[in-house]
Amino acid sequence: MKAHHHIAMRQLSSRSLLVPLGLFLAAVLLDINALTGIVSVASMQYLREAMIVLALILSLPIIYKQSWALDRNVLRGLKSLFYLILGTYLLLLLSSLESFAVATLRSGENALYESLLGYTVITAWTLFSSIFALVAFAMLRNLIFIKQKKNTALNFLLLMLGLVLYALLSFTHLGDIASRFSYRFNGETVGYFILFVLINLMVINSFRISWLNYLNKKQKLVIFAGGLILVPLQWLLYLKFHTANPAALFSPVLGRFVDMGFLFLSIYLSVAFIVLVFYLPTAQIYDRKMRQLASMHDLSRTISAEFDQTKLVETIVKLAVQVTEADACWLMFADAGGGAWRIVASHNLSEEEQTAGMPERINRWIIENAEPRLNNHVAKSELNISMAVWKRDVQSLLTVPLNTSEKIIGCLFASKRLEYGFEQDDLDTLRAFGEQAVVAIENARLIESSLVKERLEQELRIAHDAQMKLLPKVMPDLPGFILEAVCLTANEVGGDYYDFFRIDANRLGIVIGDVSGKGPQAAFIMAELKGIMEALARHHDSPKQLLIAANETLYQTVDRNTFVSVIYGIMDIRKRCFTFCRAGQCPLLLAPALGETVHVLEPGGMGLGLDRGALFAKGLEEINLRLQKGDLMLMYTDGAIEARNARGEEFTEIRLVGLFQQHRNLSPPQLKERLINEIVRFAGSAKSHDDLTFLIVKAM
Amino acid sequence: MENFQVTRLDSEQMSTLKIGGFLDAHTAPALEEAIQRLVDEGRFNIVVDFKDLSYISSAGLGVFMGFIEEIRGKNGDIKMCGMSPKIYRVFDLLGFPTIYQIFDQLDEAAALFEPNAAPPSGN
Repeated sequence: MKAHHHIAMRQLSSRSLLVPLGLFLAAVLLDINALTGIVSVASMQYLREAMIVLALILSLPIIYKQSWALDRNVLRGLKSLFYLILGTYLLLLLSSLESFAVATLRSGENALYESLLGYTVITAWTLFSSIFALVAFAMLRNLIFIKQKKNTALNFLLLMLGLVLYALLSFTHLGDIASRFSYRFNGETVGYFILFVLINLMVINSFRISWLNYLNKKQKLVIFAGGLILVPLQWLLYLKFHTANPAALFSPVLGRFVDMGFLFLSIYLSVAFIVLVFYLPTAQIYDRKMRQLASMHDLSRTISAEFDQTKLVETIVKLAVQVTEADACWLMFADAGGGAWRIVASHNLSEEEQTAGMPERINRWIIENAEPRLNNHVAKSELNISMAVWKRDVQSLLTVPLNTSEKIIGCLFASKRLEYGFEQDDLDTLRAFGEQAVVAIENARLIESSLVKERLEQELRIAHDAQMKLLPKVMPDLPGFILEAVCLTANEVGGDYYDFFRIDANRLGIVIGDVSGKGPQAAFIMAELKGIMEALARHHDSPKQLLIAANETLYQTVDRNTFVSVIYGIMDIRKRCFTFCRAGQCPLLLAPALGETVHVLEPGGMGLGLDRGALFAKGLEEINLRLQKGDLMLMYTDGAIEARNARGEEFTEIRLVGLFQQHRNLSPPQLKERLINEIVRFAGSAKSHDDLTFLIVKAM
Repeated sequence: MENFQVTRLDSEQMSTLKIGGFLDAHTAPALEEAIQRLVDEGRFNIVVDFKDLSYISSAGLGVFMGFIEEIRGKNGDIKMCGMSPKIYRVFDLLGFPTIYQIFDQLDEAAALFEPNAAPPSGN
């Protein structure tokens, strides 16, 4: 909707140019009337000039609103101006107007009406040069308004007013009127005074050339070349029109307006050209600053958008090359552990240079001199020998260590093949750039670590769910015995496991175990263990034989640094005996119904997965317990005795045995509650890091 | 988080790793790295001194298992010493004393790496 409205406005203003044009034509009609002598009225002259002035004033704001006059593209504007001036000059030469106009002018004003041809030529030229002046004004106004300041609009308005006023003077004899009030002034003095003010206004407006600043070196050179032709041409054009102005023949007001318009254009272009000449030597530096600024801007944009470290470091190096115009550039990261430095991104480094990395001596030098350095003469510096071994063509080197508030995380290098390739300014820029880069890198690292953390938490949840699914959901029915088990998991999965296997009507396999390590890996091994136990339980009547077979299988599949400790026993309800083996697991506690002591049963046995087989089998002992009514057994994992309180003290085996002894008369569910409560109370606010499992069997 | 320290002492015959603090799943990588470095440098005679270690978890125990085969394959060994009774208990429960030679004193362990040392007798 808005766009349509805008277009409509433009079309309207375009069409509204017909109004001043109409007024101009009316003036022409008046002339034709005068020529044919149908009506002859002296005051017609005034009406005619008034119409021309009105046409002029009306056309100014309209022409300023044209889309081409509002185009902020400086180069395009200058190009149009160039063609306009060149075209006009060529037309002037071709039409040989000069000689004609001069001849006409010499023969007096009446010559205007002497021939229709003369009139036509002059009128056409008047119209053309007026339009030229108007268009030139619009274009200059556009250039002037590109960087508008407080007084820009006022100065330009004053210029326009002065111009119209000065133009009016040529006809209305304002000077004569003024001289009537004061003998000191005559018409000429007032005219010169206004001309003086007008030229001053032109010069003031001519210094509105800040658009020059925004051009790069190449553009400045192109404009300079154009200016070499354009400026003399414009002055020639001005002088030609000033000496023989056809518009002045047509209308004195219009004549002055065109004359002054040409003058303003000449002054503006000259000032711009001279300033441009002064700008040329610094154009390169200016360009560089602009590029550096752009690179900085790119980097800050990258910071907010790039969290992928690999891409980020590449961008940093790429932009650092732009900032310093270096031949080669590379970024090194210090190892978190204080170990080797490595090149993470580079520009113009060979494969070997990248993989070899900088010599250790240089890395040490960076850490010792943790501040930005400019070295324009590498060959004569302390670095030379180390540097030459690694990369030959480094003569100038910028070194900017990347420091966070606490430590050095890396270093940015930029090198040139030539000596004295860099300036202090380059170092300052690269340093500022480096500070931005640190923020970017730290950001990316933070985000990555939080992503990693999130993924780990997710994995832990999965592992925890898996562990819970592996544990039996209900206690098996075991006539004559009460079974009770509990597994409390830590926030990190600890790998505790218990299970029951129905061997036949009278026998039940019971296992309690702990997989070394934590997290998803522990959960997977637990699942594997469950599978192995399920498969072996039916085929082995002896716990020892079963564990030897289980060890063999596990040894082949688990990593060398992983193992499993278990107690596996078979409960025979008919014989009321429990045969068990301990493979690396905590001992079994037995509280016989008769007597006060608690037996700590610890038959020999290595953990599963530690040994190929022979050593394991050799050390594994089997114990056969005949259970009396009231006998109570407790099996547990190390989480129970390694629980810690806030002071770092462990719960210990002794404390657990004491507690077991003290509460031996409780029913298994009550005992379970009691043990857990005691351990939880002991740990207090300290977070548990390991699973905690109890398995209780009581003979009834 | 409790910390873990490992310091290394090289002699002509062997390297001693003095470990202290808490050796669990979180700190195990530091010990792993230290042993890996010894292996990379071809130093296969290793004594681990547990004198300052206050806790070891199953993951910590696993570190030794991860290297022992390779080191013994290169005619080296990991010998252990200086364990507190509590730490020794953990090793003992798992049957580690049948896999590793564990001594009370550092010089007892170190002596076995001396040239012409008597064949190991364990303890």
